[in-house]
Amino acid sequence: MLYPQKLTSKKSDTLIRIFIGISVVIAIVLVIINKITTPDLHWAALVNAGMIYAWVTVIYAIHKHTNIAAHVMLQTIGVSCLTVYIDYKLGFQGWSFDISIPIMVIIANITMLVLTIISHKKFLRYAIYQLIICAFSLGTLFWVYEGIVHQKTLSYIASSISLINFIVTLCLCAKDVKEEIIRKFHL
Amino acid sequence: MKEKQKERKWEWRRLDNSAKIFPISTGKKYSSVFRLSVVLTENIQPKALKQAVSQALAKYESFRVRMRNGFFWNYLEYNPKEPIVEQEKDYPCQYINPRTNHDYLFKVTYFDQKINIDIFHSLTDGNSGTNFFKEIIYHYLEITHPEDFNEEIRGNRKIEYSIEDSYLKNYDKKAKGNASSAKAYRLKGKKLALGAVSAIHEIIDLEQLKKVSKEEGATVTQYLTAILIYVIYQENYLKNKGKKPIKICIPVNLKKYFPSNTISNFFSYITVIAQMEKQGLTDFNKILAFVKEEFKERLTPEEIGKTMSSNVKLGINPFIKMIPLFIKKPLVRLSYVEIRKYTTTTFSNIGRIGIIGKYQKYIQEFLMLIAPEPVEKIKCAACSFENKMVMTFTSVLKEGNIEKGFYEFLSQKGIPIQIESNGVIDVISTETNQQKK
Repeated sequence: MLYPQKLTSKKSDTLIRIFIGISVVIAIVLVIINKITTPDLHWAALVNAGMIYAWVTVIYAIHKHTNIAAHVMLQTIGVSCLTVYIDYKLGFQGWSFDISIPIMVIIANITMLVLTIISHKKFLRYAIYQLIICAFSLGTLFWVYEGIVHQKTLSYIASSISLINFIVTLCLCAKDVKEEIIRKFHL
Repeated sequence: MKEKQKERKWEWRRLDNSAKIFPISTGKKYSSVFRLSVVLTENIQPKALKQAVSQALAKYESFRVRMRNGFFWNYLEYNPKEPIVEQEKDYPCQYINPRTNHDYLFKVTYFDQKINIDIFHSLTDGNSGTNFFKEIIYHYLEITHPEDFNEEIRGNRKIEYSIEDSYLKNYDKKAKGNASSAKAYRLKGKKLALGAVSAIHEIIDLEQLKKVSKEEGATVTQYLTAILIYVIYQENYLKNKGKKPIKICIPVNLKKYFPSNTISNFFSYITVIAQMEKQGLTDFNKILAFVKEEFKERLTPEEIGKTMSSNVKLGINPFIKMIPLFIKKPLVRLSYVEIRKYTTTTFSNIGRIGIIGKYQKYIQEFLMLIAPEPVEKIKCAACSFENKMVMTFTSVLKEGNIEKGFYEFLSQKGIPIQIESNGVIDVISTETNQQKK
């Protein structure tokens, strides 16, 4: 063998199709959970709209070869801050912490998970952004603990997905993450 | 030691005329990186390789540099850090990020039995890059097999070279440019996702290839260029109803035409322009006759001198010189969007890589790769060692029709050919495996 094994073009196309399928299943499951737990609040529709948005971003970034992780991180943090500000300006009813931020966290983590699995050989480029997203995601649990969040279901789903993402990432790329951290933070 | 390093910190030099353009026009999409690889007969020992790189760098001190931004141009300055040697992970010929490479303009990696050196073109060209790479290989083999080379005197010999800008020394102030301003046919097809780059190596029996080329009255480079045009015509041009000419850019080592022992860039290029329908180039024999004629016309010291001189004039133009770098960058990038449209593909043949006899038994083959780009979606490079000539296609296209067509053409001519690849597209490797079975 002359080269380290990479995903073939056909396999990466198949994987993208599989993940789109999984996204559809997740969307259906979320609608069901929404109907059972909080039928008056249609948060699943918002998550699904976000997922469509995330896929458009991912597919665009794939074709343009841009660093998707950096975009995901910036958009997650940026849009979250923006929603908190809008919520605050409208009298702070708490919907930014109850709904918006958990939705952003779910979308960001699913996007990063897809990216990590599809191209884990390129993970080094994503490592720092991935860690920041994971750290930011932990905020959802902190806000539940602090009593800022009233509708807790979505926050628990968000932090669970974030935890799964973190574990999968560690399993796939622990060595690379370690190398990247040593390289970036050496004295 | 630290004092000496402090002094050397102030050492700097100008970029040569070709090198100036690369840091300005380069980015993640246009890496301007070429790769040389050697496949040895045994697995690579990372520690020995790191030591070999340091020893080779001590002889080629001019490569111990990093790129800096000046107000008008970039420049090279002494790099006190040690180069990084690591296992190959990414696709070949990727943009060399200075921040993750101790600021070096070359990157040495290894995988199994293979050593790679990726070189940013601002540092040097294929010819001097090969000499530096050979030095690394010699040192590596001397470290890993001391018993074989304990009497070898090569190790202590000083290498003589200069860092002059041979372009400035040799250009003709009065020469007029000969560049064609017609846009070229651009290869069509779906691109690979996620920045993937496919590398397909076609390992050709050199004796047989020489024999067949000679029968046709052509040199190996002419013969391979003709096949390339023919395959592009059959597999891409006709299917997409192309109209513009197929233009193949062929780099030329200027040291063959002008006296120079510089290790900076000193190359130019010729462009073979094939107007397929207009010139009736519809079958291989006609294409080969046309290519031979083009080479005869363009590969002369006068013609090459004209191309080189017009490029030098651009680089020393006082108006261009006076534009600050931060303004030059966007302007050059913008103009390069257009300039890149003048070539269909590049085919670089660096020829035979000569290795001292005692070292040859440890080497299987050499490979050369050039970075493909969004416009020039496929690039080709060739080099030979002993009886193996390796033609490498680097591509960002999903379909491997051109690579496959090239392979089939040579096979039909009865020339033994093997395929190796990085597995991103597997149209030919699969078939070859089936044939082997």
